[in-house]
Amino acid sequence: MMDTVLDAPTRTFIEVTEVWVPKDGRLVLANGNYGALDDFAAVSGQESFGPGEGLPGKAWAEARPVVLKGFEGSYFKRTDAAKAAGLTSAVAIPVFAGDILKAVLVVLCGDDKNRTGAIEVWAENDGLLMLSDGYYGAARHFEWVSQHTHFPRGQGLPGGVWASNTPILMRDLGSGYRFIRAESAGTAGLTTGLGMPIPVPGSKTFVLTLLSARGTPIARRFEIWDARKAKVGHAREAVLIDGICAREGPLWSGETEKERRVDAWQGPVGKALGSGLPVVESGTPALAAGYESMVALPIWHGPELAHIVAWYC
Amino acid sequence: MKKLVVIGAGMATGRALEHLFETEPGAWDVTLFNAEPRGNYNRIMLSPVLSGEKTYEEIVTHDADWYEAHGVTCRFGEKVASVDRDRKVVIAENGDEVAYDKLLFGTGSNPFIIPLPGHDLDGVIAYRDLEDTYRMMETAGTPGAKAVVIGGGLLGLEAAAGLRMRGMEVCVVHLMGHLMDRQLDEAAGYLLRKALTDRGIEIRCSTNSKQILGENGKVRALELDDGTEIPCDLLVMAVGIRPNVKLAQECGLAVGRAIHVDDQMVTSDPDVLAVGECVEHNGAIFGLVAPLYDQAKVVAKTLTGEHDSFVQREVSTKLKVTGCDLFSAGDFADGEGREDIVFRDPARGVYKRIVIEDNKVVGAVMYGDTSDGNWFFGLIKDGTDIADMRENLIFGPAFQGGTPLDPLAAVAALPRDAEICGCNGVCKGQIEDAIAAGATDLGGIRATTKASASCGTCTGLVEQVLAVTLGDDFVMPASQSICACTDMTHEDVRRMIKSQKLTSMAAVFQECGWKTSCGCHVCRPALNFYLLADWPLEYQDDPQSRFINERKHANIQKDGTFSVVPRMWGGITTPQELRAIADAAEKYSVPTVKVTGGQRIDLLGVKGEDLPSIWYDLNQAGMVSGYAYSKGLRTVKTCVGTDHCRFGTQDSTGLGIKLEKTLHGSWTPHKLKLAVSGCPRNCAEATCKDIGVVCVDSGYQISIGGAAGMDVRETTLLAQVATEEEAIDLIKAVTQCYREHAKYLDRIYKWMDKVGLDWIQDQVVNDLESRQAHVYRFELSQSIYRKDPWAEHAKKPEKYQPLADLTLEAAE
Amino acid sequence: MTDWIDIAALEDVPQRGARVVKTRFGCLAVFRTAEDEVYAIENSCPHKKGPLAEGIVHGKFVTCPLHNWVISLETGLVQGADEGEVITCPARVEDGRILLDSTFLTERAVA
Repeated sequence: MMDTVLDAPTRTFIEVTEVWVPKDGRLVLANGNYGALDDFAAVSGQESFGPGEGLPGKAWAEARPVVLKGFEGSYFKRTDAAKAAGLTSAVAIPVFAGDILKAVLVVLCGDDKNRTGAIEVWAENDGLLMLSDGYYGAARHFEWVSQHTHFPRGQGLPGGVWASNTPILMRDLGSGYRFIRAESAGTAGLTTGLGMPIPVPGSKTFVLTLLSARGTPIARRFEIWDARKAKVGHAREAVLIDGICAREGPLWSGETEKERRVDAWQGPVGKALGSGLPVVESGTPALAAGYESMVALPIWHGPELAHIVAWYC
Repeated sequence: MKKLVVIGAGMATGRALEHLFETEPGAWDVTLFNAEPRGNYNRIMLSPVLSGEKTYEEIVTHDADWYEAHGVTCRFGEKVASVDRDRKVVIAENGDEVAYDKLLFGTGSNPFIIPLPGHDLDGVIAYRDLEDTYRMMETAGTPGAKAVVIGGGLLGLEAAAGLRMRGMEVCVVHLMGHLMDRQLDEAAGYLLRKALTDRGIEIRCSTNSKQILGENGKVRALELDDGTEIPCDLLVMAVGIRPNVKLAQECGLAVGRAIHVDDQMVTSDPDVLAVGECVEHNGAIFGLVAPLYDQAKVVAKTLTGEHDSFVQREVSTKLKVTGCDLFSAGDFADGEGREDIVFRDPARGVYKRIVIEDNKVVGAVMYGDTSDGNWFFGLIKDGTDIADMRENLIFGPAFQGGTPLDPLAAVAALPRDAEICGCNGVCKGQIEDAIAAGATDLGGIRATTKASASCGTCTGLVEQVLAVTLGDDFVMPASQSICACTDMTHEDVRRMIKSQKLTSMAAVFQECGWKTSCGCHVCRPALNFYLLADWPLEYQDDPQSRFINERKHANIQKDGTFSVVPRMWGGITTPQELRAIADAAEKYSVPTVKVTGGQRIDLLGVKGEDLPSIWYDLNQAGMVSGYAYSKGLRTVKTCVGTDHCRFGTQDSTGLGIKLEKTLHGSWTPHKLKLAVSGCPRNCAEATCKDIGVVCVDSGYQISIGGAAGMDVRETTLLAQVATEEEAIDLIKAVTQCYREHAKYLDRIYKWMDKVGLDWIQDQVVNDLESRQAHVYRFELSQSIYRKDPWAEHAKKPEKYQPLADLTLEAAE
Repeated sequence: MTDWIDIAALEDVPQRGARVVKTRFGCLAVFRTAEDEVYAIENSCPHKKGPLAEGIVHGKFVTCPLHNWVISLETGLVQGADEGEVITCPARVEDGRILLDSTFLTERAVA
């Protein structure tokens, strides 16, 4: 049923994904997928960030997701290496368990003329979610529309995530009457959206959305796992509640079907569940549906690991 | 090959065909009729399609390839005109005849459309199939479009949540008192309502629709019974379904509420089977998917000649709205010998209730934490004896040692900026800071923050903040809870009602962790008062939580009869009124007529069923209820003042009448008696009333806190004011202050002893702005409550009559 | 065999409320709880004959309006420190109608 074009080999929207974890008061690289960008990988492996330093340190110190477009002259520390690798933008997502920083996930994107997609950070302001910042590649018009759209609680993908405090997957963003920003999303070729709450200490609300386009997908498979004891019944177990895959079709299980479950440490999702940290895997032969790389991002509700979102390419 | 004709391509027939092809592949020649122009899709997943969380393609269960692979002749978009059972043929709309060996009805159900005026307008739809779903999406595509959903059940709420996600303003109108009333009890319904309101969905319960208004043939608004109009561009009716039995009826099958089937899913014709929402089995009809799939399995078995029986099992319900976790299974109402176990965790918004009968779990409702839902569902289905685990049952299978409900959880959950001490404007955070800085007891907090140093009603709360912050280092002084239903004191509960904006009894029970499902005769009247005093516009007075006197607006006497006291404003009456009273006394054979201490006439010994008629008669003569029964304004006693008395300094009678007219109908923590004396000789005995006014040459002396009951107390001067207008304002303000702060059943003098006269003066005498604010709030409340209950009750006299008279019946 | 008499619709009695049914042997109070359970008991408190139908209903109990005695609707027994009992009459709800046990009424005539 899914479009086979979606699976055509293309360069993906996100080129580099890395996980930074705190160690002795500084953030050090725990894991990363650099594709073929070996030099940038080597530079990154030697780097470390204190609170407020560089992009990961900023996400830590300011306790919010940070979008950085254009490294030249910014606080970004690896500007030269990034430039050499053709990377132009980055988004840093802090993972907090209550007040404690568990990790910072950083994604870097490249040359933006041919690639479309969106990584957006929404922040609450006066009872409405407004675009804090976002990286859109070539989707200029969609970027403009997003900057001028505000979401009340419960409305649209960001508002739905906010009201329910759970990750939400939305399909067919561009087709007709769907997504609130459908018209522009359709023109930009955006197909699938994954929204998730990014909890931070204090009372601020942030929502991160990944909007994937057919031609240059952020991912070809998305999964949402519920790990709340209130839903799953057992600690350290997670249930797949929703998902879409270019190769396998819908991933959710129907009312009377058996659910898909993982235990802690079982596969990459289980690893994120067990450690509570983001997991980046690449080149591992056993990834779901034969994909080459994947990212699993845990989302905490206070001290409880509530959900894991995963995307595969 | 055996010929099978299936009417209706739904979830039940789809599943039946799957089973059939698995057991006997290639043995059947199947023709499938479907009125919808498509095959089988997962109808219960329409809600996620509406919200955008799924696509139609993803919910298709059988596509064209599947039908082709199994050799099914699909006649989609074609209706069946009739069935000739004698010749065993199905006749299509175009006249085609299809012969069958076996016929399977899967005609499903039709949505029920309430025949309100305007139900046929464009834009009024049901929520049943993909066409409805697309129609809803289309309307949602128009910026600023509004929707009204009639029906707060499973389907209605899913529609509302989906439309809201699509950007529409949505209002749900529900006839019953709480949402999903078939699956949830009131407490769970409250939590669900809270979650949906939080999404920006407006919810109106206990609301009746009157008509649908249109413009140019298109829906424009829904008009409610009370005349309110809710504008909308789309009106979705999700009030229920009716099994679709027309065709079955026409061809002469046995039909009750739906098509009768036996345990083998065979209808009254041995060659005709039926499955799904169109069947009636042992008196029951089916709307949820699990029993439908069980039926489908039996249909396949019966067709292939194997024996199998459909058995009705318990079903569980869940709502497909992302982030709303609820679970409901079994039966939690109706029946003797049942008891329930309730668990609430206000901080996490968790509510669980298990219903037990004969040591078995028969029902379970959960909201917020549904992890043990399937375990309880298993106990219900298996009829497990739970005698041994009864004590800890509610904690679920993982219970180890148990965590008793923490009475401090509610305080712990308050945010740092929650105001703890209203008098001195101290927030929870400041108290926490003071504790961090070294304060370890109430005295220390009072000295550093002034919290609880004024009126003291927040003392309990400050102690709880100390306990939460210091843990075991703080020893909590024992405090008196309202009743056995809660560990909280009156002050605690009242503070929660105000700070958390709790506007219903269910909200208080949940957020304050009540241990019983619906309170008791001690807490309910108190809560009813607090709620109506603090949220006069939002809260709906609950007559069933009032003592009999207030519910029946008359004083019950020791023999079960009532006394009736008409109001005489300021103690002034007329010959006409007296004549009407005399007539009524004779007409209803009132045994005793007495003049009261409050300058009224009391008719004692009226029978309960005569109340509406005697009220009606007195109403006709212009008299209203004297509220002689109420925890509210009773009487304003007056002397004759300047009109007739040679000593009078002001018009005391006039002021008394004005006070009574402005204060009447207001509910107070205990009874409220006033008097106005025209001069210091004090003939109206104003100095032993709750509020007394003594007129002097230079103005009005207003004193409070008198009593002449078991305690006899003289009033204390609150203030002297110059004008009559100021006197009325001050009395309104002090009454409102009393309503807002006193414990239920404390007279003014008890309240004054607790908070001190100085504090009351700070609120309503010295600070004019504060006085006006109190007056404003009083008037706001009076806009609802300043009314005559007699007139309303006299309209419904049948409520006062016996439900039935069996004196003849039993004699047979 | 139990012979049930149809008394009224369930809606005729308010939730957490009661209505009176007159019988030859005195009045019965028919209660409806918050959970829509229905009970019928003698409408007279064993203490001072208070009209129980006018009391506050909570859970499966009613509190007498005169002196706050609490009586179980299921068993008719007085709760707590007080002692006493009222007569109970089997009652049930079917299809939204309240039914009372008629044999109960006739047997009482015999007794």
